[in-house]
Amino acid sequence: MNKEQFLTELKNGLSGLPQNDIDERMLFYGEMIDDRMEEGMNEEEAVSGIGSVDEIVSQTISEVPLTKIVKKRMTPERSLQTWEIVLIVLGLPLLAAFVAVVLSMYAVIWSLIITLWAVELTFIACALSGIAAAAAYWLHGNLIPGFAMLGAAFLCGGISFFVFFGCLAASKGILHLTGKAALGIKTMFIRKENTK
Amino acid sequence: MDIQLKRGFLEICVLAAIKNEDSYGYRIIKNLKPYIELSESTLYTILKRLEAAKMLTVQTVEHDGRLRKYYHITEAGLQRIEEFKAEWKELISVYQFVIKEDDHE
Repeated sequence: MNKEQFLTELKNGLSGLPQNDIDERMLFYGEMIDDRMEEGMNEEEAVSGIGSVDEIVSQTISEVPLTKIVKKRMTPERSLQTWEIVLIVLGLPLLAAFVAVVLSMYAVIWSLIITLWAVELTFIACALSGIAAAAAYWLHGNLIPGFAMLGAAFLCGGISFFVFFGCLAASKGILHLTGKAALGIKTMFIRKENTK
Repeated sequence: MDIQLKRGFLEICVLAAIKNEDSYGYRIIKNLKPYIELSESTLYTILKRLEAAKMLTVQTVEHDGRLRKYYHITEAGLQRIEEFKAEWKELISVYQFVIKEDDHE
């Protein structure tokens, strides 16, 4: 791949970004290639030393804030026709509803996580109150029920120990998925731009 | 190395690479190569961040019939290096403590 091909591919890959962001990056990578060639590499070597365009594009997209990409997508390159404005206005409630559905699905997932943590808290509370109850029984001389309570308290404590790790894993998993989804949304915006 | 930790290191390394003399992208990468791995795309992000934090300024200079960007460290950038050095003195004493306790085992 020569310098021109590299920069063209890069430009296409980044086309969802604002123009000045793309220009600046093209200048930066162009300069890098020129500097490598000045040192004696041929054009091919200089370009391959920079790394693959795909990697640069995905790293760039993951670092640019989503708002910047959306803003660029939402800014039309020409003025809108009347019928297009009418269509947008009519379509807006639909879009809002769609966004609301997605957001509420996300909220449901988090409420499930909160519920899990609540179960965990309940087990811990059971364990603690079981110990307290056992102590109360013993103070009144009721040895057997006291042991029964203590046994129940240990059981709850043991379960809460396992549930804790389950909760932790679920929370981490959802956070990880959220990050992936954010990247996915960004990529969606960029892809649309490319196929236009 | 932990990604966040490496990011912090790289910022300081880039500042150090332009501390004594203004430098340009490719030379920064070459100077750091023996010490820490730094890709072009990562360097771009770091330079942008340091510029936004006013730790360096950028100057475009004509070189051999083309343009090249030179990066110049600011007072804030120099100060950041000093802070890093002070932080590390503390960290090194913690490290020595950890090693000492580990050897006693």
